[in-house]
Amino acid sequence: MRVTQSLLQLNFVSALNTLEGNLSHTQNQIATNLSFTTPSENPVAAGAVDNYNQTLSQSQQYDANANSAQTRLGTEDNALGQVQSALQSLRDLALQANSGTVSNQNRVDIAAQAQQIQSTLVSLANTKDGTGEYIFGGYATQAQPFALSATGATYSGDTGQRLVQISAGQSVPDGDNGAVVFNDIKTGNGTFTATAAGGNTGTGVVGATSVTDPAAYAGGSYTISFTAANAYQVKDSSNTVVTSGTYTDGQAISFAGVQVTLGGAPASGDSFGVAPSSNQSVFTTVQNLITALQQPAGSSGSNAKLGNAINVGLNNIDQALENTSTVRANVGGRLNSITTQLSVSGSQQIQLKSSIASLQSLDYASAITTLNEQTTTLQASMQAFSITKGLSLFKFLG
Amino acid sequence: VSDVFGISVGALQAFQAAINVTSNNVANANTPGYVKESINLVTAPPQASGVVSIGNGVLVSGISRSFNQATADQLNNSQSSLAQLTAQQTYSSQLDNIVGTTAGGLSTAVQNYYNAWSNVANTPTSAATRQALLGAAQSVAASFQRTSTQLNAANADINSRITADVQQINTLGASISTLNKQIVISTAQNGGQAPNELIDQRDQLISNLSKLTAVTTTTDSNGSLNVFLGTGQPLVLQGNTTTLTTVPNPFNASQLEVSTSTSAGRVISGSITSGELGGLLAARSQIINPALNQLGQIAVGLAASVNTQQNSGLDLNGQLGANLFAVGAPLATASSANTGATTASASITNVGALTANDYLLSYKGGAYSLTNAADGTAVAFTGNGTAGSPFVADGLSIVLSATPASGDQFLIQPTAQAAGSIATAITNPSQLAAAGAVKATAAASNTGAATISSGTVVDPTNANLLTTTTIQFLTPTTYSINGGAAQPYTAGANITQSGWQVQIAGTPAAGDTFTIQKNAGGTGDNRNALLSANQQTQPVLFGGTVSINAAVGALITGIGSQAQQINTAQAAQTAVNTQAVNNQQSISGVNLDEEAANLLKWQEAYQASAKALQIGSSLFQSLLTAVQSA
Repeated sequence: MRVTQSLLQLNFVSALNTLEGNLSHTQNQIATNLSFTTPSENPVAAGAVDNYNQTLSQSQQYDANANSAQTRLGTEDNALGQVQSALQSLRDLALQANSGTVSNQNRVDIAAQAQQIQSTLVSLANTKDGTGEYIFGGYATQAQPFALSATGATYSGDTGQRLVQISAGQSVPDGDNGAVVFNDIKTGNGTFTATAAGGNTGTGVVGATSVTDPAAYAGGSYTISFTAANAYQVKDSSNTVVTSGTYTDGQAISFAGVQVTLGGAPASGDSFGVAPSSNQSVFTTVQNLITALQQPAGSSGSNAKLGNAINVGLNNIDQALENTSTVRANVGGRLNSITTQLSVSGSQQIQLKSSIASLQSLDYASAITTLNEQTTTLQASMQAFSITKGLSLFKFLG
Repeated sequence: VSDVFGISVGALQAFQAAINVTSNNVANANTPGYVKESINLVTAPPQASGVVSIGNGVLVSGISRSFNQATADQLNNSQSSLAQLTAQQTYSSQLDNIVGTTAGGLSTAVQNYYNAWSNVANTPTSAATRQALLGAAQSVAASFQRTSTQLNAANADINSRITADVQQINTLGASISTLNKQIVISTAQNGGQAPNELIDQRDQLISNLSKLTAVTTTTDSNGSLNVFLGTGQPLVLQGNTTTLTTVPNPFNASQLEVSTSTSAGRVISGSITSGELGGLLAARSQIINPALNQLGQIAVGLAASVNTQQNSGLDLNGQLGANLFAVGAPLATASSANTGATTASASITNVGALTANDYLLSYKGGAYSLTNAADGTAVAFTGNGTAGSPFVADGLSIVLSATPASGDQFLIQPTAQAAGSIATAITNPSQLAAAGAVKATAAASNTGAATISSGTVVDPTNANLLTTTTIQFLTPTTYSINGGAAQPYTAGANITQSGWQVQIAGTPAAGDTFTIQKNAGGTGDNRNALLSANQQTQPVLFGGTVSINAAVGALITGIGSQAQQINTAQAAQTAVNTQAVNNQQSISGVNLDEEAANLLKWQEAYQASAKALQIGSSLFQSLLTAVQSA
């Protein structure tokens, strides 16, 4: 092919442009540590990196969510622990007050201590988290949920429970509302309650109660009435006699799948009611106990009343303790799953970062090699041009 | 003896001319458009001298150009394609850079926005996280707007380049027709010998023209050249030129089209497919405008999904959430060529069915047709265009103010303006709806074991959404809503009423009641914030198959692929063009070594002829001497 000088020049300049463009691209890669800086250099990888970055950012956000939930659940766990120890102290006080040797004055002192515990419980129920939100208010986190009242405490929160998303498919509640923790506590043994009638004249006291056959107890109400000091009969709500027998102090009376143990000496005409458990606030339980403790005792009848009241109170405190333990165990479970999820997401994030790096980061070894090759090519072509450019027949003329 | 003088002088003149031609080649070695010339020598007619015929020397028969029309045409075509791809590449690279920059990019802004919702879900009452969310929402809107501004700036740039190119085409056309006239005259004056320099100049102008638009030429017998643009629009016919001008697009005055400038001007943009002008038009219709539409589609999808979720929750003030994003309505423009005064309006009825296309609504001979504006394919639609029964197609609802005149057209652009118009519509962070609108509670006196879900909003537009509703169980297997008729109870089944939905599970007892009411005071509730944060993975676009995040990712990949494709095509065309230049130069270019050799050759021939003259002279001298001495 016939080649002209101006063509040589033109082709050299265009080759020079290409080579310098490539060199500048490699330099830019090395300077930014990125194998591509615009999507057009690798559209598929650019899309994938964008996708991975989104997933990474999302995962990091889930971690932030988990940490936030962890803090809030930690606050709750701490509050619940204090509720447990307050209830335990209250239980000790109730047991102490139940012994026959305690004077009226002592009981009033014990009642005063119980009152202290009551206000401690209310203040724990009004615990706030780090951001100033009441943790036991349900969704109503900005209004104080509990306020003491004559019969216990009023609850102005709701039954909402907030969730926090800690992974793509997993949400955990970041708290429990006050209704679940403090209000919805079953009375008695959790299935039914046994209480002495207010007009009893004997010294009969309700002792241990239990469900022996859950299938047989259908949740009905029954009355154990004494037809004589040593004879009782059990009637159901429609006044039908279910069973009857001879009363022995401390011996369990069984009917309809339940057992009720009575102690002391009931008088003829005394009665004891058995009813399905209902929900009662822990504050009402404490308030009832305080009220009972504040009543003077001494006579055998009043002692029995006090004994019954304290037994009811102890049962309810045990239920409250159990409820608190259950809630606290749930909190612990959530904290565990958060910890597990954090470690899972930690390794997921490492994986994502390495995927992003493998797509986007520069292979320095090969980039430096490329840079060397490109520099060499550029030098060589410059040299080649200067050699060919020097060739001209005109030099030999004349 | 006189012959030798005649032959030698003729040869001296011929070689002098040859040396001049060679010098001219050397002088123009670097002149653009110059075509190497060579001298044509012929033997002079012989003179009969008795029985033998002796040659009568050399004559210059002409000076010819080393020119090959096919090669020149090939180069012009390749230049057209290269200029087209280079123009397209300018804009595809711009777009590539705009969407490719990670920092401050749309993708990051969208992700930050969803993360901000998660933070609000963690602490719904915190003013700081709410303010951060509002900031993130503003930055999403700003990101869309910034991208849209850059794309519109590219369109403005394209307009000014189209104007400049059209002016240049007119100038070139005028020059070519002038040269045509000069060439015709000059050829006639020189006895049919074409003036090489003028032809070179004209070819160079054609070559320049081919960089602006594809050109085809035909040569008339008198030597003048006819020039046609694109698919046959005549620019130069002998000595006459057609002037071109720019006119606003009939549907969009901000976009210029190429037109002939006669009184009945005709838009010829469609027939200009190559050259820089073709590249500019293609960049606008295939790169910039589709990107604006796609961005707009994402903006519309984001705004619609976010606003619906906002409307489904309660803000810190206990009000149903207001729209977070405002986005402009679809454009429905009547063509400036319409003869009727009918106006059109369009609204989006189904974001999921929305596309990134533009639509052309035409009315002709009593029938409406709706087509995809880009490729002309028909689009199915229902309705008759009245307010009562609007045209409905692809998630759009189109209403005409009256029956248009026959032949009238309307362009519907559902998403073109969305990216540029999206903005946050609320300014107070307390207006962000983080709480669920309703709450469902079981009465404390319930004796059964049934539980009720917290309640979700399925229709935020229901007027009774926040009205308190009571569900009471008449028996463990039937319930009534607000004292209405008994309904059978299925554990876990959806109960939907007044725009909300709840599920009751477990075994209820007769008399148990559940209340669904406004979530008053529930400022610590984060249900709506959780749903808002989760929207990032919810498919809201393309018939509910693609999430906002995925659509942004797909946009990046799509634009990257397009830029890559154009880069590759441009690189390939550069190689083709280099080859075409090489071919053309190898025929028409000046090789200085070759010219040097020729110079030597002509010099020697000239010297030899001079010698012949000298010998002739000495012969004559000898003769004179002989005659004198005789």
